[in-house]
Amino acid sequence: MKVVIFPPNSLILADLIERKGHEPLVIQREIRKKVNSPEIDSPPLNITEKEPIEGLKYAAIEVPSGVRGRMAIFGPLIDEADAAIIMEDAPFGFGCVGCARTNELCMFNIRKKNIPVLEVKYPTSREETMELVNKINEFLDSLEDKNG
Amino acid sequence: MSPQKNSEITKNDSKITRMIILGPSANISQTELVRKLHMMELPLTIKSTCYGAAISGEEEVVKKAIISIRELDPCNIFTKDRGFPPGDPRRCRAKRGGAREGFHQLEKEFELLDYVSKALENPQKVQLKKPKKISIKEFKEIVENCQ
Repeated sequence: MKVVIFPPNSLILADLIERKGHEPLVIQREIRKKVNSPEIDSPPLNITEKEPIEGLKYAAIEVPSGVRGRMAIFGPLIDEADAAIIMEDAPFGFGCVGCARTNELCMFNIRKKNIPVLEVKYPTSREETMELVNKINEFLDSLEDKNG
Repeated sequence: MSPQKNSEITKNDSKITRMIILGPSANISQTELVRKLHMMELPLTIKSTCYGAAISGEEEVVKKAIISIRELDPCNIFTKDRGFPPGDPRRCRAKRGGAREGFHQLEKEFELLDYVSKALENPQKVQLKKPKKISIKEFKEIVENCQ
Protein backbone atom coordinates (compact mmCIF):
# COMPACT_ATOMS: atom_id res chain seq x y z
CA MET A 1 0.00 0.00 0.00
CA LYS A 2 1.08 3.57 -0.60
CA VAL A 3 1.54 5.35 2.70
CA VAL A 4 1.95 9.11 2.84
CA ILE A 5 3.99 10.43 5.75
CA PHE A 6 4.15 13.69 7.60
CA PRO A 7 6.79 15.20 7.90
CA PRO A 8 7.14 14.18 4.26
CA ASN A 9 10.93 13.86 4.49
CA SER A 10 11.10 11.78 7.69
CA LEU A 11 13.81 9.11 7.70
CA ILE A 12 12.29 7.10 10.54
CA LEU A 13 8.80 6.93 9.04
CA ALA A 14 9.96 6.18 5.49
CA ASP A 15 12.34 3.47 6.67
CA LEU A 16 9.78 1.73 8.90
CA ILE A 17 7.19 1.72 6.12
CA GLU A 18 9.62 0.21 3.67
CA ARG A 19 10.65 -2.48 6.15
CA LYS A 20 7.03 -3.64 6.28
CA GLY A 21 6.84 -3.90 2.48
CA HIS A 22 4.74 -0.82 1.85
CA GLU A 23 5.65 2.13 -0.35
CA PRO A 24 6.37 5.39 1.47
CA LEU A 25 5.26 8.49 -0.41
CA VAL A 26 8.07 10.89 0.34
CA ILE A 27 8.78 14.40 -0.85
CA GLN A 28 12.17 13.41 -2.28
CA ARG A 29 10.36 11.45 -4.98
CA GLU A 30 8.55 14.58 -6.16
CA ILE A 31 11.71 16.68 -5.88
CA ARG A 32 13.58 14.16 -8.04
CA LYS A 33 11.12 14.73 -10.86
CA LYS A 34 11.80 18.47 -10.66
CA VAL A 35 15.59 18.36 -10.47
CA ASN A 36 15.96 15.85 -13.29
CA SER A 37 14.02 18.06 -15.64
CA PRO A 38 16.64 19.72 -17.90
CA GLU A 39 14.85 23.05 -18.34
CA ILE A 40 14.87 23.92 -14.67
CA ASP A 41 18.13 24.82 -13.05
CA SER A 42 17.49 27.16 -10.16
CA PRO A 43 18.15 26.18 -6.55
CA PRO A 44 16.93 25.35 -4.00
CA LEU A 45 13.58 23.81 -4.85
CA ASN A 46 13.17 24.46 -8.54
CA ILE A 47 9.74 25.92 -8.18
CA THR A 48 8.53 27.44 -11.42
CA GLU A 49 5.54 29.62 -12.17
CA LYS A 50 3.61 26.41 -12.92
CA GLU A 51 3.61 25.22 -9.31
CA PRO A 52 1.51 27.99 -7.71
CA ILE A 53 -1.01 27.42 -10.52
CA GLU A 54 -1.08 23.67 -9.88
CA GLY A 55 -1.42 24.46 -6.17
CA LEU A 56 -4.78 26.09 -6.88
CA LYS A 57 -6.25 22.60 -6.75
CA TYR A 58 -5.48 22.53 -3.04
CA ALA A 59 -5.60 26.14 -1.90
CA ALA A 60 -7.52 29.27 -2.89
CA ILE A 61 -6.04 32.11 -4.93
CA GLU A 62 -5.83 34.35 -1.83
CA VAL A 63 -3.45 31.87 -0.21
CA PRO A 64 0.22 32.94 -0.51
CA SER A 65 2.01 31.56 -3.56
CA GLY A 66 4.55 29.87 -1.25
CA VAL A 67 1.80 27.69 0.21
CA ARG A 68 0.38 26.92 -3.22
CA GLY A 69 3.83 26.15 -4.59
CA ARG A 70 4.49 23.74 -1.76
CA MET A 71 1.06 22.19 -2.12
CA ALA A 72 1.84 21.47 -5.78
CA ILE A 73 4.52 19.12 -4.46
CA PHE A 74 2.81 17.70 -1.34
CA GLY A 75 -0.67 17.52 -2.89
CA PRO A 76 -0.06 14.75 -5.46
CA LEU A 77 1.47 12.60 -2.71
CA ILE A 78 -1.64 12.99 -0.55
CA ASP A 79 -3.90 12.27 -3.57
CA GLU A 80 -2.04 9.04 -4.27
CA ALA A 81 -2.08 7.75 -0.67
CA ASP A 82 -3.94 4.66 0.58
CA ALA A 83 -2.97 5.32 4.20
CA ALA A 84 -1.14 7.96 6.22
CA ILE A 85 1.10 8.42 9.23
CA ILE A 86 1.29 11.85 10.83
CA MET A 87 4.02 12.63 13.33
CA GLU A 88 2.94 15.77 15.16
CA ASP A 89 5.28 18.28 16.78
CA ALA A 90 8.22 17.10 14.69
CA PRO A 91 11.14 19.54 14.68
CA PHE A 92 10.95 20.12 10.95
CA GLY A 93 11.39 23.73 10.11
CA PHE A 94 14.01 23.37 7.48
CA GLY A 95 13.90 23.64 3.74
CA CYS A 96 10.72 23.00 1.86
CA VAL A 97 8.76 21.77 4.88
CA GLY A 98 9.40 24.93 6.88
CA CYS A 99 5.97 26.46 6.35
CA ALA A 100 3.47 26.12 9.19
CA ARG A 101 0.39 26.95 7.10
CA THR A 102 1.28 24.42 4.39
CA ASN A 103 1.82 21.81 7.07
CA GLU A 104 -1.59 22.54 8.58
CA LEU A 105 -3.22 22.33 5.15
CA CYS A 106 -1.48 19.03 4.40
CA MET A 107 -2.62 17.51 7.68
CA PHE A 108 -6.15 18.76 7.04
CA ASN A 109 -6.15 17.21 3.56
CA ILE A 110 -4.87 13.90 4.91
CA ARG A 111 -7.48 13.80 7.70
CA LYS A 112 -10.40 14.58 5.40
CA LYS A 113 -9.35 11.98 2.82
CA ASN A 114 -11.05 9.10 4.66
CA ILE A 115 -8.07 6.75 4.65
CA PRO A 116 -6.56 4.91 7.64
CA VAL A 117 -4.47 7.48 9.53
CA LEU A 118 -2.12 6.96 12.43
CA GLU A 119 -1.37 10.09 14.41
CA VAL A 120 1.59 10.02 16.75
CA LYS A 121 3.69 12.57 18.59
CA TYR A 122 7.36 13.13 17.78
CA PRO A 123 9.22 11.17 20.49
CA THR A 124 11.67 12.83 22.83
CA SER A 125 12.76 9.90 25.02
CA ARG A 126 13.69 6.22 24.72
CA GLU A 127 10.29 5.00 25.96
CA GLU A 128 8.38 7.28 23.62
CA THR A 129 10.50 6.22 20.65
CA MET A 130 9.99 2.53 21.38
CA GLU A 131 6.25 3.04 21.72
CA LEU A 132 6.19 5.01 18.46
CA VAL A 133 8.00 2.27 16.54
CA ASN A 134 5.71 -0.43 17.94
CA LYS A 135 2.62 1.64 17.13
CA ILE A 136 3.77 2.24 13.55
CA ASN A 137 4.55 -1.45 13.05
CA GLU A 138 1.16 -2.43 14.48
CA PHE A 139 -0.58 0.08 12.19
CA LEU A 140 1.28 -1.17 9.11
CA ASP A 141 0.45 -4.78 10.01
CA SER A 142 -3.22 -3.83 10.32
CA LEU A 143 -3.06 -2.33 6.81
CA GLU A 144 -1.84 -5.68 5.49
CA ASP A 145 -4.79 -7.41 7.15
CA LYS A 146 -7.24 -4.94 5.60
CA ASN A 147 -5.58 -5.35 2.26
CA GLY A 148 -5.79 -9.13 2.50
CA MET B 1 15.48 18.98 -28.69
CA SER B 2 17.88 16.46 -30.20
CA PRO B 3 17.10 12.72 -29.95
CA GLN B 4 20.36 12.22 -28.04
CA LYS B 5 19.30 14.74 -25.38
CA ASN B 6 15.89 13.08 -25.14
CA SER B 7 17.43 9.70 -24.41
CA GLU B 8 19.63 11.30 -21.75
CA ILE B 9 16.55 12.67 -19.99
CA THR B 10 14.84 9.28 -19.97
CA LYS B 11 18.03 7.77 -18.60
CA ASN B 12 18.16 10.32 -15.78
CA ASP B 13 14.48 9.88 -14.98
CA SER B 14 14.83 6.19 -14.20
CA LYS B 15 17.79 6.84 -11.90
CA ILE B 16 17.20 7.16 -8.19
CA THR B 17 19.40 8.13 -5.26
CA ARG B 18 19.24 6.57 -1.81
CA MET B 19 20.97 7.54 1.38
CA ILE B 20 22.18 4.69 3.58
CA ILE B 21 22.38 5.84 7.17
CA LEU B 22 24.22 3.85 9.82
CA GLY B 23 22.66 3.91 13.28
CA PRO B 24 24.86 4.83 16.28
CA SER B 25 25.15 1.15 17.32
CA ALA B 26 25.83 -0.24 13.84
CA ASN B 27 28.27 -3.13 13.59
CA ILE B 28 29.94 -1.74 10.49
CA SER B 29 31.70 1.53 9.76
CA GLN B 30 31.20 3.89 6.82
CA THR B 31 34.40 2.61 5.21
CA GLU B 32 33.25 -1.00 5.48
CA LEU B 33 29.84 -0.05 4.13
CA VAL B 34 31.33 1.63 1.08
CA ARG B 35 33.72 -1.30 0.52
CA LYS B 36 30.81 -3.77 0.67
CA LEU B 37 28.88 -1.66 -1.82
CA HIS B 38 31.84 -1.65 -4.20
CA MET B 39 32.26 -5.42 -3.75
CA MET B 40 28.72 -5.95 -5.06
CA GLU B 41 30.01 -4.83 -8.46
CA LEU B 42 26.72 -3.21 -9.38
CA PRO B 43 26.51 -0.27 -11.80
CA LEU B 44 26.10 2.33 -9.06
CA THR B 45 27.56 5.72 -8.18
CA ILE B 46 28.69 5.36 -4.57
CA LYS B 47 29.59 8.28 -2.37
CA SER B 48 30.96 7.93 1.14
CA THR B 49 29.36 10.40 3.56
CA CYS B 50 29.52 11.21 7.28
CA TYR B 51 26.27 9.33 7.97
CA GLY B 52 27.02 6.31 5.76
CA ALA B 53 26.78 6.44 2.00
CA ALA B 54 24.73 7.75 -0.88
CA ILE B 55 24.11 5.49 -3.85
CA SER B 56 22.70 6.38 -7.20
CA GLY B 57 21.69 4.25 -10.17
CA GLU B 58 18.83 2.49 -11.89
CA GLU B 59 15.92 1.86 -9.51
CA GLU B 60 16.12 -1.94 -9.67
CA VAL B 61 19.86 -1.98 -9.05
CA VAL B 62 19.60 0.45 -6.13
CA LYS B 63 16.82 -1.63 -4.55
CA LYS B 64 18.91 -4.77 -4.95
CA ALA B 65 21.87 -3.08 -3.27
CA ILE B 66 19.68 -1.80 -0.43
CA ILE B 67 18.27 -5.28 0.27
CA SER B 68 21.76 -6.83 0.36
CA ILE B 69 23.27 -4.07 2.49
CA ARG B 70 20.42 -4.17 5.02
CA GLU B 71 21.20 -7.84 5.65
CA LEU B 72 24.54 -6.84 7.19
CA ASP B 73 22.83 -5.25 10.19
CA PRO B 74 19.05 -5.14 9.67
CA CYS B 75 18.16 -3.10 12.75
CA ASN B 76 20.92 -0.51 12.44
CA ILE B 77 20.98 0.31 8.75
CA PHE B 78 18.38 2.84 7.66
CA THR B 79 17.68 4.16 4.20
CA LYS B 80 15.98 7.18 2.81
CA ASP B 81 15.24 8.50 -0.66
CA ARG B 82 17.08 11.55 -1.91
CA GLY B 83 15.88 13.86 -4.64
CA PHE B 84 19.19 15.29 -5.79
CA PRO B 85 21.90 13.02 -7.20
CA PRO B 86 25.16 12.73 -5.19
CA GLY B 87 27.48 15.68 -5.68
CA ASP B 88 24.84 17.80 -7.44
CA PRO B 89 26.33 21.32 -7.53
CA ARG B 90 22.94 22.85 -6.72
CA ARG B 91 22.82 21.01 -3.41
CA CYS B 92 26.37 19.84 -2.66
CA ARG B 93 27.88 21.30 0.50
CA ALA B 94 31.27 21.71 -1.15
CA LYS B 95 29.91 24.26 -3.63
CA ARG B 96 27.20 26.00 -1.64
CA GLY B 97 28.81 26.22 1.79
CA GLY B 98 27.03 25.18 4.98
CA ALA B 99 24.98 22.07 5.52
CA ARG B 100 22.40 21.19 2.90
CA GLU B 101 18.81 21.59 4.09
CA GLY B 102 18.00 17.90 4.43
CA PHE B 103 20.95 17.42 6.75
CA HIS B 104 19.26 19.23 9.65
CA GLN B 105 16.29 16.88 9.53
CA LEU B 106 18.63 13.90 9.33
CA GLU B 107 20.72 15.19 12.24
CA LYS B 108 17.64 15.56 14.43
CA GLU B 109 16.28 12.12 13.61
CA PHE B 110 19.72 10.52 13.99
CA GLU B 111 19.46 11.24 17.75
CA LEU B 112 16.56 8.76 17.93
CA LEU B 113 17.97 6.04 15.67
CA ASP B 114 19.55 4.12 18.54
CA TYR B 115 16.18 3.82 20.28
CA VAL B 116 14.52 2.88 16.97
CA SER B 117 16.98 0.00 16.51
CA LYS B 118 16.31 -1.17 20.09
CA ALA B 119 12.58 -1.15 19.37
CA LEU B 120 13.12 -3.08 16.14
CA GLU B 121 15.19 -5.67 18.00
CA ASN B 122 12.55 -6.10 20.73
CA PRO B 123 9.13 -5.67 19.12
CA GLN B 124 6.17 -5.44 21.48
CA LYS B 125 2.43 -5.58 20.97
CA VAL B 126 0.67 -2.27 21.53
CA GLN B 127 -2.93 -1.11 21.36
CA LEU B 128 -3.63 1.51 18.73
CA LYS B 129 -7.12 2.27 19.96
CA LYS B 130 -7.47 4.06 23.27
CA PRO B 131 -9.51 2.00 25.78
CA LYS B 132 -13.08 3.31 26.00
CA LYS B 133 -14.20 5.13 29.13
CA ILE B 134 -16.65 3.13 31.23
CA SER B 135 -20.11 4.47 31.92
CA ILE B 136 -21.06 5.97 35.30
CA LYS B 137 -23.47 3.11 35.87
CA GLU B 138 -20.74 0.54 35.32
CA PHE B 139 -18.37 2.52 37.54
CA LYS B 140 -20.97 2.62 40.33
CA GLU B 141 -21.40 -1.13 40.10
CA ILE B 142 -17.66 -1.67 40.44
CA VAL B 143 -17.52 0.63 43.49
CA GLU B 144 -20.46 -1.16 45.08
CA ASN B 145 -18.88 -4.54 44.47
CA CYS B 146 -15.65 -3.39 46.08
CA GLN B 147 -17.36 -2.28 49.29
